[in-house]
Amino acid sequence: MPSPLLLQFGGSLVAILALAGLARWLGLGGTPRLATAEDVRRIAGELVDGFACRRLSHDREGAAALVEDAAGRVMLIKRHGNRFAGRILGPEARARLQDGPGAAALVVDCGEPRFGKVILDLPDQVAWAQTINAIGEQRHA
Amino acid sequence: MPDFSPTDCAVPLFVVAVLAEMIWAKLRAPEAYEPRDTLVSLAFGLGSTVAGALLGGFALWVFMAAYDYRLFDFGQEWWTVWWAWPLCFVLDDLAYYWVHRAGHRIRWMWASHVNHHSSQHYNLSTALRQSWTGAFTFGFVFTLPLVLLGFHPAMIAICGGFNLIYQFWIHTEAIKRMPAWFEAVMNTPSHHRVHHATNPRYLDKNYAGVFIVWDKLFGTFEPEVDDEPIRYGIVKQLGSFNLLWAVFHEWIGMIADIWRAPWKHKLSYLLREPGWSHDGSRETSDMIRKRWQERVRKAPLSTSMSVADRNPIAEASEAA
Repeated sequence: MPSPLLLQFGGSLVAILALAGLARWLGLGGTPRLATAEDVRRIAGELVDGFACRRLSHDREGAAALVEDAAGRVMLIKRHGNRFAGRILGPEARARLQDGPGAAALVVDCGEPRFGKVILDLPDQVAWAQTINAIGEQRHA
Repeated sequence: MPDFSPTDCAVPLFVVAVLAEMIWAKLRAPEAYEPRDTLVSLAFGLGSTVAGALLGGFALWVFMAAYDYRLFDFGQEWWTVWWAWPLCFVLDDLAYYWVHRAGHRIRWMWASHVNHHSSQHYNLSTALRQSWTGAFTFGFVFTLPLVLLGFHPAMIAICGGFNLIYQFWIHTEAIKRMPAWFEAVMNTPSHHRVHHATNPRYLDKNYAGVFIVWDKLFGTFEPEVDDEPIRYGIVKQLGSFNLLWAVFHEWIGMIADIWRAPWKHKLSYLLREPGWSHDGSRETSDMIRKRWQERVRKAPLSTSMSVADRNPIAEASEAA
């Protein structure tokens, strides 16, 4: 016979899975897009207060973006659920071009495993790859 | 002695209320919920009850030991002293204010409390996003004076349970403002939205549990501004739905900082405010707010505009 505590735990687990399933079934959440430069500027300024984009580029799907400010700080922005999260890239950041079924894509690794690698389809990805890889090189020079 | 856990009794109420808010969200604000975020928040809640059962024994032992040295004695049947209950509730809420404030201003405490703030959403499921690691902090010390005054640990636990239940309903965007008299005295959804915000003006404000008067008394009150959209979460958003990372990320970060820091700075990474660094490479909430205030002073435009909005010099290269 399972203990009352175990039953309570099991019941709670079923309840939370049911609630999360219900949220999905109800279609809650949504998929925001970084559709315009204004969207990117706004999100960048929200993620790092005061971040003023001097240069920006957003993914064709609107799921991610790269931005740079006048101080040379580069921020990687990605969609996280139905919000956005960002990281100022440091010397551990790496970028490489990845060939796909269509055009090549830019893969950016901010060096934080849990943040994950972000794949961007950008019009100017070679330039961004050089900028990102130069961050580490400048620091090590 | 009463054997009663208010929070256990309230669980069905929590479930029904979350259901009701989800229906509200479906009709009015679908973006208020995100299924994966909801799952993480609720898993936090379940895990915190397990952690409390497994690790709460030490604090209870300290409380019972301290009770032997109490200043006043409410007698063998202390639970029959009716006026002790509201008094205990108010004093426990005062203790909560300070433990909560410490939870934001001392990194050791923040490593645990950050769990409650790591969602970028603000809904009733966020209320259940409770820490698993509170037992590894010294939060219980703030409640110890109540035990030494003579309040039985069980009375404090029951009052604390009702305090937690009160705080559940204020985690919502569905309620804009309560009547003015209520907003003046009690913690409300509006006041607590401020507390969960990452907007610079709101950082480290409104620590109250039940009575907002503590913030007004101790200088940490900030009212909600209607024309500034609130952004929820933490200054460095997690960007991950991994439950274990969400639970332990700040502990890992803090221990790594202590490990790497020069000897004379190690303790500061434990006891100073989150964001402090010995080389000034990071920002505390005070530094973020100061920078924001200076920027707004220079460009006093609408507060609803983001900084980026105020910088039309930006060049864009959009995807084709």
